[in-house]
Amino acid sequence: MKLYKEKNYYELLEIYPEVSSTEIRHAYKKFFDLYQDESIATYSFFSEKERLEVLSSLEKAYLTLIDPESREVYDRNLFELGGLKEERKHSNHKKNPSSIFDFKKTHLQGLQTLRNPEQLKYLSSQNLVIQNILEQNTIPGSDIKKIRTELNITLEEIAETTRVRIEMLRIIEEDNQKLFLPMVYMTGFLKSYARYLQIDENIIVNGFIKHTNKGKQPG
Amino acid sequence: MSQIWSIGGGKGGTGKSFIAGNLGILLAKQGHKTLLIDVDFGAANLHTIIGISKPERSISDFLNRRFSTLDETVVSTAIPNLYFISGAMNNLDIANLTHQQKMKLLRNIARLSYDYILLDIGAGTSFNTIDYFMVADSGIFITTPEPTSIENIYRFVRSVYLRKIHQVLRAHDFRTLAEEAERQNSNATISNPEILLYVVKELDPGKGDIVEKALRTLDFKLILNQLRKQDNPNTGELICKIIERHLALRMSFIGNISYDDHVHNSVCKKLPFIDLYPYTRTALDLRECCKKHLSINNNQNITHNFADQL
Repeated sequence: MKLYKEKNYYELLEIYPEVSSTEIRHAYKKFFDLYQDESIATYSFFSEKERLEVLSSLEKAYLTLIDPESREVYDRNLFELGGLKEERKHSNHKKNPSSIFDFKKTHLQGLQTLRNPEQLKYLSSQNLVIQNILEQNTIPGSDIKKIRTELNITLEEIAETTRVRIEMLRIIEEDNQKLFLPMVYMTGFLKSYARYLQIDENIIVNGFIKHTNKGKQPG
Repeated sequence: MSQIWSIGGGKGGTGKSFIAGNLGILLAKQGHKTLLIDVDFGAANLHTIIGISKPERSISDFLNRRFSTLDETVVSTAIPNLYFISGAMNNLDIANLTHQQKMKLLRNIARLSYDYILLDIGAGTSFNTIDYFMVADSGIFITTPEPTSIENIYRFVRSVYLRKIHQVLRAHDFRTLAEEAERQNSNATISNPEILLYVVKELDPGKGDIVEKALRTLDFKLILNQLRKQDNPNTGELICKIIERHLALRMSFIGNISYDDHVHNSVCKKLPFIDLYPYTRTALDLRECCKKHLSINNNQNITHNFADQL
């Protein structure tokens, strides 16, 4: 903890060096109220002279920081004295408005370009393990998981792109039939899953349904 | 080793004994072996708060050497796990303990073995009150949102601050430095310890550092008592902020305790409030404060301990 007299303007107003003018104004208002004559929290703490000194030091800090030009000069001096790091200077932190829609688009595109469909198709056609699974009559969830791990794709990635809840995907992979939703939904989830892996969705869905029904009718 | 909490705060009538008693009961009910000690010798009240109208033994039995150990003066209470040393029923001159008596008492308190020991400290800012306050692991200030008691809080904090500087610098050093400081800066009188520290730091950086470090070890808590509906509930936070900014002392705000007329009833009935009215807002606040204080205390490394300071 620094002594009051050793504090710089930012520490006096208890703000970070990169904040905008709105925050400076709020901080000044807060402390102005605190050191007011009427304020109960500072009752008797200061003599009249001390209170005026504190108030004038706050005002000086406020007036310096609220003006962009004098703030720039103050920041430069503070930086030279070692009281401010280059990356925390306000001039390096100017915020520009960013469009949330643009952001979303790039996010989706980023995910899509992560996987090249042609490459995925090629990979699975060359992979013996995957081909063997696809030729099976029934396909349990554990085999679907095997395909996914052979292609080195995480469950999180699939969940994010297909918008299927990750718990649901896990239930499929674990063949956890107790938690299955009606089959209509399950096949829907599985179709999105298979489509993301660029694998024939019909083979997967049919194999999975056969496997599930086999479990229900013993013998 | 026992953890010692002291409960004080300058002005009388702010509810120090009330809070000490009820915190003690709450701690005991949580299964901690708790001892309450009433060190408000001139005006002991704590026994009534926890429902004992006439304690059989008191601390003066120990100071008068009627009992050889402090342990013998401990009275058990109706609440399991809660023990009590009364400061009542003693000679009228007991409020003026000599320095030797005080040190003997503090040494013996440190030797007791409980989970928590709560010291209920009297009003005023005499060395007797301040010294009991300073030896604790955690010092809790009680104030009400009224100018009178806030004024006394600041006075009490500054007295503790000055006493600490005094303790660290030996008496001779203190006097010469204080005189020198006063000569350089007319504001740096003993009534203004923060400027005193500032000037001491300039005159002798080595000593200034030692003093500053010692002041950092002080660790205060604040409880705002008797908060009425029309009062600003942030007052406590603001007081802590002022003390941190201008005295550079650590002070954490524990919480507000609402004003309740039922407190008066419970005192008149000589029964513990928290048992009599467990479902009032005030009882809830007390439980919250107890919980918050325990969690703050467990998070902080207690760097200073009672025995070392003696």
